[in-house]
Amino acid sequence: MADSPPADQTLDCTGLQCPLPVIKTAQAIRALAVGQVLELLATDPGVEPDMRAWSGRTGNELLGIDKRGEVFHVLIRRAK
Amino acid sequence: MWSDEAEARILYVQTHGISDPGRCATPFFLAASAAAMDCEVMIYFTMYGPTLLRKDMVDKIGPKGERGQPLRYFVEQATGLGVRLLVCQPSLDLNDLSLDDLIGGVEMIGGAAFNDLAVRADAVISF
Repeated sequence: MADSPPADQTLDCTGLQCPLPVIKTAQAIRALAVGQVLELLATDPGVEPDMRAWSGRTGNELLGIDKRGEVFHVLIRRAK
Repeated sequence: MWSDEAEARILYVQTHGISDPGRCATPFFLAASAAAMDCEVMIYFTMYGPTLLRKDMVDKIGPKGERGQPLRYFVEQATGLGVRLLVCQPSLDLNDLSLDDLIGGVEMIGGAAFNDLAVRADAVISF
């Protein structure tokens, strides 16, 4: 993710369990303009497959998932 | 009843009621997840399922009892994302309920409408 763009907004879902990171991400991405980037912070162990499925289904672009310590950093660009 | 505006349609079926609280929340949070993925989503409550929609019960039970969120939290999480809740008259009768006993926004359908929703859904998931 070294080449990833900086996020326009950060959504902290650390400590929250499925399905809250998905639901809050869906709500947060709708508040961004097309092309803007959301950074999701989450500790739910299922967040990586969940965000791959969510972005594949919604068409938003998953730029990268990086685990630092216990926290997943997920970068998503609003595509539509 | 599907709008066909979404790319995928999922119909959940909940048959369990207030006597088994551990089974009350999962259909709501899976439905909420599906709605967050831009799917069109409905939950059909049959057999004992309609008891979960009783307005005098949604604050009294939850999947983990006193240690977790009440059922209302899961219901409103789903409906807030556009999930539609459906019941039919025979399963209301089975539980001695009327639509007035239930939380607002619940829609009444019948067996033909249910079967048509199921045939036209991309997935039907039953609990």
